[in-house]
Amino acid sequence: MRFAVDTGGTFTDLVIEEGARLHLFKAPTTPSNPVDGVLDVLEVAARDLGQGCRELLEQGELFVHGTTTATNAVITGNTTRTAFLTTRGHPDVLVLREGGRIGLPLFDHGIAYPEPFVPRALTFEVPERVDATGKVIEALDEEALDTLFDQLAVAEVQSVAVCLLWSIVNPTHELRLEALLRERFPDLFISLSHRVNPSLREYRRASATAIDAALKPVMSAYLGELEERLRDAGYGGRLLVVTSQGMMKDAGDLASSPIHVVKSGPAMAPVAAKYIVENGYLGRNAIVADTGGTTYDVALVRDGVIPETRETWIGQPYLGHMTGFPSVDISSVGAGGGSIAGVDEAGLLHVGPQSAGAVPGPACFGAGGRKPTVTDAAVVLGFVDPAYFLGGRMHLNPDLARDALMRDVAGPLGMTVEEGAEAVMALLTETMAGAIEDITVNQGIDPRDAVLIGGGGAAGLNSIAIARRLGCSTVLFPDSGAAISAAGGLLCPLSDDAAEFNLVRSGSFDLELANATLARLRERCDIFAQRLGDSSLAQVNYSVEARYAQQIWEIKVPLRQGYLESDLDVALLMEDFHRLHHEIFAYDDRDGEVEFVNWRARVSADMRKQPLATIQQGEARVSADTTRMGFLEGAWQPVPVIGFGNVAKGEECQGPAFVETDVTTLVIDSQASFHKDPQGNLVVAVATAGREAM
Amino acid sequence: MATSGLDLAIISKRMEGVARKMQNTLLRTARSGVINTGRDFSCCVLTADCELVAAAESLPIHVMAGPDQMAESMKAFHPVLARGDAFLHNSPYHGCSHAADLSVLVPVMDDDGRHRFTVLAKAHQADIGNAIPTTYHAAARDVYEEGALIFAATRVQRDYRDNDDIIRMCEMRIRSPEQWRGDYLASLGSARVGERELIALAGEMGWDRLDAMVSDWFDYSERRMALAVGSLPAGTATGETRHDPFPGTPEDGIPIKAEIDVRPDEGRISIDLTNNVDCLPNGLNLSEACARTAAMVGTFNSLGLTVPTNAGSFRCLDVLLRENCVVGIPCHPTSCSVATQNVADRLTNAVHLAFANLADGYGMAEIGGVQTAAQAVISGHEEKRGGRPFVDQLILGDTLGAGSPRADGWLAMITTGTAGMSFFDSVEVDELRHPVLVTERRLVPDHEGTGTFRGAPASQVSFSAHGARLEVLYQSDGTVFPALGARGGGAGGPAENYVTRRDGVREKADGWATLTLDEGDGVTGISPGGGGYGPAMARDPRRVAHDVAEGYVSRNRARQVYGVVIDEDGVVDADATGVIRSESQVQARP
Repeated sequence: MRFAVDTGGTFTDLVIEEGARLHLFKAPTTPSNPVDGVLDVLEVAARDLGQGCRELLEQGELFVHGTTTATNAVITGNTTRTAFLTTRGHPDVLVLREGGRIGLPLFDHGIAYPEPFVPRALTFEVPERVDATGKVIEALDEEALDTLFDQLAVAEVQSVAVCLLWSIVNPTHELRLEALLRERFPDLFISLSHRVNPSLREYRRASATAIDAALKPVMSAYLGELEERLRDAGYGGRLLVVTSQGMMKDAGDLASSPIHVVKSGPAMAPVAAKYIVENGYLGRNAIVADTGGTTYDVALVRDGVIPETRETWIGQPYLGHMTGFPSVDISSVGAGGGSIAGVDEAGLLHVGPQSAGAVPGPACFGAGGRKPTVTDAAVVLGFVDPAYFLGGRMHLNPDLARDALMRDVAGPLGMTVEEGAEAVMALLTETMAGAIEDITVNQGIDPRDAVLIGGGGAAGLNSIAIARRLGCSTVLFPDSGAAISAAGGLLCPLSDDAAEFNLVRSGSFDLELANATLARLRERCDIFAQRLGDSSLAQVNYSVEARYAQQIWEIKVPLRQGYLESDLDVALLMEDFHRLHHEIFAYDDRDGEVEFVNWRARVSADMRKQPLATIQQGEARVSADTTRMGFLEGAWQPVPVIGFGNVAKGEECQGPAFVETDVTTLVIDSQASFHKDPQGNLVVAVATAGREAM
Repeated sequence: MATSGLDLAIISKRMEGVARKMQNTLLRTARSGVINTGRDFSCCVLTADCELVAAAESLPIHVMAGPDQMAESMKAFHPVLARGDAFLHNSPYHGCSHAADLSVLVPVMDDDGRHRFTVLAKAHQADIGNAIPTTYHAAARDVYEEGALIFAATRVQRDYRDNDDIIRMCEMRIRSPEQWRGDYLASLGSARVGERELIALAGEMGWDRLDAMVSDWFDYSERRMALAVGSLPAGTATGETRHDPFPGTPEDGIPIKAEIDVRPDEGRISIDLTNNVDCLPNGLNLSEACARTAAMVGTFNSLGLTVPTNAGSFRCLDVLLRENCVVGIPCHPTSCSVATQNVADRLTNAVHLAFANLADGYGMAEIGGVQTAAQAVISGHEEKRGGRPFVDQLILGDTLGAGSPRADGWLAMITTGTAGMSFFDSVEVDELRHPVLVTERRLVPDHEGTGTFRGAPASQVSFSAHGARLEVLYQSDGTVFPALGARGGGAGGPAENYVTRRDGVREKADGWATLTLDEGDGVTGISPGGGGYGPAMARDPRRVAHDVAEGYVSRNRARQVYGVVIDEDGVVDADATGVIRSESQVQARP
């Protein structure tokens, strides 16, 4: 039996895989101590399955956890007191950052400049300097360090982050500093930049290192407590945590390198998406969207691979902190079921980014919220059955929804309340489509060549409309529905990463240097493989981040193998680079010189031998099939209501239909047809306008 | 109103989306650091009538005014446009900001060959063929001495194919031609993405409906702007500042004056710039595009406006210019080589000061002048790589942000006209790309303009030649006239530039300089501090204590200028502070 737990902002989702059966459970997240929520959801599951919690846990062989604890600690400032040690002359790396102020109101000078992750008061300059070739220009002044260490002692820090210029080329000074620090402060948590994030650009490396150092005590405590309490409750299997790259690692390893788990939570949905398209023969590209109450998170599968980015922000871009650490690329926009709608003084409709949240919530909750939200619009249009919200656990008041929409939207726009509600849904669709366009443009995917996977609680309301707007002909609602992330947790491979910076130019390709670099990466992957026991399970993938000479931003090119035998291999690598560049940016420059910068290897082992289990038919507790009046395509009409579990596999059904699950309604209009695939996913064929001939 | 509140929202999102796709393309594919790190580029969509529709996250100084005139000149010089055309444009006499901002314009044609929109991608080049290796030739007496190639809407593509004659002209004249070609491909690619997206959008909505929706979007934007102006205090006010003396300027620098007239009942603001000196025999003159835009940026900054910036909202602004004025309309062959900054920045700041003088709670202090040696253009030959020539602008420092009525100065403003959107270079990236060693990059204490909301502290950047001889060019304003405070706020510290020779001898360098650095020689640029807003004595003591703890302000200065007494443990002595402040008779604002 395998468990996957995804601790989200509102709910903690648990997926249990037991042979061919998949079970989903939910419990509220407990922000003060998220471990409580994990134990709570296990209790819920045990009760539901008619077992004791100990009995349940004792059957477990694997426990996979996706967590937002690291992100939350950074956002709320609940990390440890950390000092930042950097090359003399460059104390303000974390203050100046990379500049930039993109996406903030351009002329609003009331926005305060963000505070650095480590205050200047806790920043110390180390007398030393190495240049870009790795040559020591100024030796590490160990005598001067005594004074520096005295100041450090006074500062009473628990953690120290060390980021020296060019440590990625010559780490001697960082290593020596570590040794001296350990000697003087044996209990200190220390992170070195060339280990944490061995990549070019001092701010990104420093930021990742500082965040890593500050999280070490927090994450060791959190993961330590989780492990202890699971063991106490009877769990005897392996405890794994999902990384920001949609892989997993042993909890113990992550406690000492927590930078890997900063984007743990959102990295799981794309893993599930990749699995779904591969197993459903739905092509190589997918857009996976997670629709929550406040935000809409979009990730991709491009040509069978989940694209990464190094521009990963914790908090709002340019006001939060960038990790500079490779993570699954996710585009987020403030739109979801709780988004508030309104019309401004000059007559423009707005939906979001303000959200009614869980409290007071949408007007129809009757909990004091007076502003109309997306959920209210869905109630007015008949998409959501007021008597059956959250599987009947909550009753909604449709009159409050209508009143709020009439007052704040339909009235000011001179529309009927239904038209107003449709307008809210249409703008929501446009905003979400915009988020998809942003990430697909950046990653070079045409949405028309991708399947849209709608995950999350509110995905069903407008995913078909989003697909139509973008020209996607297929929408898939996964079997695991709102728990798609937790299900993805069961699919993450175990992995480790190694990286090294070495500049190699295509004009004078240093084959020896490239191969020596790759050989060192391979050695580190071999250690992982040996730890597996059966090293044949390990698969190593090599890649290199490269760019045209003079470009600033690199793209990650997969290598065909772990060494470059001859000029022919180099020529193939060049070809791969040009092709990928063309794919992402729509042009290449075959005469241009190429610079290869960061060399990377990922070793991974698939922990599964059989396909993911499915939820059994009939498990969805939905009222008997019936019809309900719904406002679709501009008119009220009777719409068949079908329980998600009652859609027979293989049978092709025609819209309109409301397919209901425990948490949401999948709204399917008359221009779409749908069927259940063998894995239990609902696949919707959307009629889209033909492709433009260009 | 033909377009509903929903359709308005959708058309604005779709048009912004087109501009954003163009930008993403350019950002990710450009070669020169000034484009992709400095983010010195912009993309926008214009109507067939040459009105600005959407510019997404473009640099304000590039797009608010100017692209309209550029598109007009394209139409005037090429009455017959066809699908597949593309035009090069960088003429400051025909709407471009300055010669370095080489732009690609593509007319978007419908299937019947009717011109429907124009898309424009503008990118600041690392080189534009000037007589000296910088794109900011402050000393050029005219466009001939400046030396840039000037394209006034020159057809560079027909049927989607390059006119190779023009490409070769550029390659023969522009330093680092390979880099230039890469940047050209990126700009062209960006404009073609815009064209493709608009054609697809029209396929969905129809050209005529698009036109109608855009027209209604302009009307909406105008209503928003008029409402915002309607809430302002009525009246006239003047803001004055001064650019440092440079070659070709009067001995006491260039006085800049902005006279504003706010008429809330009419929903209009006018900014009169006609009472300024004539064009000067140097490269500091503004192009018409930059004169107009700098005044508009100053206005939007001053009011914290979040209304859409397009031809609709701009209808509420009148910027009065005259010909042959340093902040007006230059006549050929006047040089406008540095038009996007320096004098433009001072003009924006004069508008800030004018609004601050109008009423408390409006306007801003002065943002510091550019561009110290920390933003120098460097050039030379890389010995290690076969003597290959290089030229690029470094963007290593210059914090500059000014205090506003609601917040301290933004620490990474970089230049006024970019609204803080530019990026700083990574030290490691610069050292990898160029033969330089960046020995220092730090903030300087006690250089901020003091105030209730203070200016940004100054940055200090030093770099030296490491592996090659370097030519270093910069024009640093603010060494003589620092950034002024507003409404009782203090001026920021002045800019300073130094040369340190290999033997350790350090000399003060001119504000405007061309330096040659041999191996081991270095330069230092200390940026101006941003001006402060409101009296320093009214600054929240907790903010002062934080500044002291973080080393932005010394305890001594905290006491003497801010009237806040802080003990050795960093705690505010409330009683002693109260005594000093009551003597100064200024009440603290929370």
